[in-house]
Amino acid sequence: MLPPSSIVFRTGNIIIAGRNSLEKSNQELLNSLRQNFEDASSRATGGQMSWIEARGDTLYAPSIEEPDGLSEERAEYDITVKLFYLPGVPVSKRRDHTREALQHVLRELRVSSIDLLIISFPDISFDAEDHSPDTEPSQREVDEWAETYRALETLQMEGQVKRIGLSEFGVARLAKLLPRTSIKPSVDQINVRDCCVVPKPLIQFAREQKIELLTHNDCTNILPSSALQSLLLETHVALGELKKVDPQWVVKYTAVVQDRGVVENKGYFAMARIGID
Amino acid sequence: MGLLSLGTPLTWEEAKPHADLVRERGIEQLLNIWKKAKSKERDILLWGDEIEYLVVSYDEDSKDARLSLRQAEILKDLAHDEELRKAGGCVPSLQEINQKPGQRVPTFHAEYGRFMLEATPGAPYGGTLRDLLTVEPDMMKRRVIAKQHMTKNETPITMTSFPRLGVPGAFTQPYYPPHGPIARSIFVPDEIINPHIRFPTLTANIRSRRGSKVCINLPVFYDEKTPTPFKDPTVQYDLSDYPEDGNVRNGAVKDGHVYMDAMGFGMGSCCLQITFQAKNISEARTLYDQLCPLGPIMLALSAASPIFKGYLTDIDCRWNIISGAVDDRTEEERGLKPLNENKYVIPKSRYDSVSTYISQDPGFRPEYNDVDIHQNLPLKQKLLGGGMDEQLAKHFAHLFIRDPLVIFSESINNYHVENNDNFENIQSTNWQHMRFKPPPSAEDAIGWRVEFRSMEVQLTDFENAAFSIFIVLLTRTILSYGLNFYIPISKVSENMETAHRRDAVLSEKFYFRKQVFPPRYANRSGKGSNTSPGGSISNTPKPVELGPVEDEYCLMTINEIMNGQSGQDGFPGLITLIESYLNSVNVDVETRCELARYLDLIRKRSTGTWETAATWIRNFVRGHPDYEKDSRVNAAVNYDLVKAAETLGNGEGKGTDLWKGLFEKR
Repeated sequence: MLPPSSIVFRTGNIIIAGRNSLEKSNQELLNSLRQNFEDASSRATGGQMSWIEARGDTLYAPSIEEPDGLSEERAEYDITVKLFYLPGVPVSKRRDHTREALQHVLRELRVSSIDLLIISFPDISFDAEDHSPDTEPSQREVDEWAETYRALETLQMEGQVKRIGLSEFGVARLAKLLPRTSIKPSVDQINVRDCCVVPKPLIQFAREQKIELLTHNDCTNILPSSALQSLLLETHVALGELKKVDPQWVVKYTAVVQDRGVVENKGYFAMARIGID
Repeated sequence: MGLLSLGTPLTWEEAKPHADLVRERGIEQLLNIWKKAKSKERDILLWGDEIEYLVVSYDEDSKDARLSLRQAEILKDLAHDEELRKAGGCVPSLQEINQKPGQRVPTFHAEYGRFMLEATPGAPYGGTLRDLLTVEPDMMKRRVIAKQHMTKNETPITMTSFPRLGVPGAFTQPYYPPHGPIARSIFVPDEIINPHIRFPTLTANIRSRRGSKVCINLPVFYDEKTPTPFKDPTVQYDLSDYPEDGNVRNGAVKDGHVYMDAMGFGMGSCCLQITFQAKNISEARTLYDQLCPLGPIMLALSAASPIFKGYLTDIDCRWNIISGAVDDRTEEERGLKPLNENKYVIPKSRYDSVSTYISQDPGFRPEYNDVDIHQNLPLKQKLLGGGMDEQLAKHFAHLFIRDPLVIFSESINNYHVENNDNFENIQSTNWQHMRFKPPPSAEDAIGWRVEFRSMEVQLTDFENAAFSIFIVLLTRTILSYGLNFYIPISKVSENMETAHRRDAVLSEKFYFRKQVFPPRYANRSGKGSNTSPGGSISNTPKPVELGPVEDEYCLMTINEIMNGQSGQDGFPGLITLIESYLNSVNVDVETRCELARYLDLIRKRSTGTWETAATWIRNFVRGHPDYEKDSRVNAAVNYDLVKAAETLGNGEGKGTDLWKGLFEKR
């Protein structure tokens, strides 16, 4: 058997998991993972680690079950997926990571497509972006965004994603990226602590480009390596003493019954590489 | 107000023998609807608000504000408005309403008081968050349209109670003397009653059934110069035109209280009510139960009626006044005499807090229904025999202990099981703080609905929109997280009493549930779906050990209920929960910003940063130079108060002293 090279973490449906959902997304993710690990290990009948499953060279924590999926027809739902690319991960991996993350969500919700895929690049935030000229993105940054964006365009053309969204993009960033895209983003999601202070130029630009400005309450550093390490220690996930886990991506998904505004399913997946320390 | 059928109404003595027949037919009609509509599924969220207005008439020469009695003329004028007619019409009782999709023309309705108007958003609001932004503009439009169809000296105001209803002298335009044969009130003329035959009949039949005039005593607010003990000086003890004139000589009036004796004092009050369509009967039952404990909380937070019959009182809310104003229970039913002619001693008026929960959610415990309620057992048997479950049958069997108050003779020989007139006769004269509404007919596109009825109307449309939107967002949050607000129903009734006290919003505590999240592994069947999706075996809930019910709730301030308790395990707060819901769905920047304004109002009300209308009105009166510190609200004070309410209602007065308190820290 191959030594495991990656591990996929799963929260399951957290919308009914109580207090966790009142936290910021990084805390929500960690708390929900902890809860899901504890629940899975308490239900496990085999040895200490039997709630973790190996398939090929990938570990699943907890092991993959047949998901319940959604309770009503697909057309009733608005499914939004937000993919967080994490810092330190090579840009060249993003294409594969995007597909992989999306597949997990499609499987979990038992659907063949989603309505909106929003991507979040590491190390960029929205704060005051539009006011300081020095945040003009570098050519390298723009090249990287454009490369990543092409992966989304492919998914859209394949019909797995209906609309594409960006996050934390101000006017300067949008102006650089838009000419490099063939399918325009439909959404730009911004973190606004006080949402009445969205810069006017951005509102104007978004209107002209027919980009919908949505709000979110996520934090940029959603899963720091150290936080994941200590969670694994705390929940006794032993991957061998010399193994280091390196988070690669996090994906959040939400299924909302459109005509009723009811959130039916919400959860996270995260993937980490397992390496020799 | 429901549909106003026409015909020849029966007096109480004539109606009485038909009571059982109406009830039996009502239950038969209910069963017919229930059988066909119980499997209705996937109805979308539609909702609407109802706002009631007082129409006031100014006399600028004498600086007086009175109630205009021109309801019928104003409605007729609205119905004849060419533009509104083209857009689909706006007075359903007077014209064909045929609104085009996507266009919402407000509709206007008659209400009990001949000085009142009710307006609703012609077509319901939809289920998206963006739709919420149309609420306030729609309300403002209604006010403008209403005003356009009044005379120059008339105006609609959204004040819960008219301060000088029932004072000696003129308080209506035109003046009519009190003490007519219908209400037989010492204080108000029969001419304040909507002349549609249903309303005078209702008034007279409540009085006849009860065997006396209704009787409401409100504790007076003792101010510096209020005579002590206060004896209501407006009561006339020496009248002898009607047998009921003896009521005041036989102890109807309490010392220290403002005494009122007519239905109009209650039903002449204005409320803000919200009705939602649920996706199916099960979700409707969930929402009914979950909103039930919120009723008293929202009453205290929306408190807006400190003045009745020209006196500052020591209460802030209308609810109990209406309760007393339609209390048709006989002396036997009120427990004053041994039962002889009547079947039950009934602890509550027809207008009162809910007495039984109806949902079958896993979060429900039988201990929550801790009030013994009377049920019409033969009719309950019919419902059970027809296949209805015990809990829902109990709810309707409880409503059906009441007598029908208005029966039209024509309807007795014109009965169709497919209609709902007999059912509605009982259902819509049970005015509880929540109403569970079946589809109007088995074939109707309209689904199962729930009405939230406790709130007082607010002075401005900003506030009315904020309260409506808060409740809508709360329902979405409840359904998404599967929240559980159950406390024993007796505690809800206690909270209802507490909510009335002066400044309850800041100085009182309310029973509220501590732990509102569902137990882990609860599946979604607890969230109002008719069928439980097949959960995998490994997710089967372990039986949770339930502690004593008494440990599930505690006393909280409204600030804690809205903004949360401190500490890790404290109650997180309704606003926190709603914000967390909003963070889980896609909201555009503009919508989020607007919704934040509305939530901010609720937050500031609950912390006391901004005042309730009740406190604001009380302060306005007490700070007025013409107020004599004797609890009396004289014509001069009333005139300025009504003018101020008009200014604020029209969205004006920003930055002036009027604004202080209500929307600015005083």
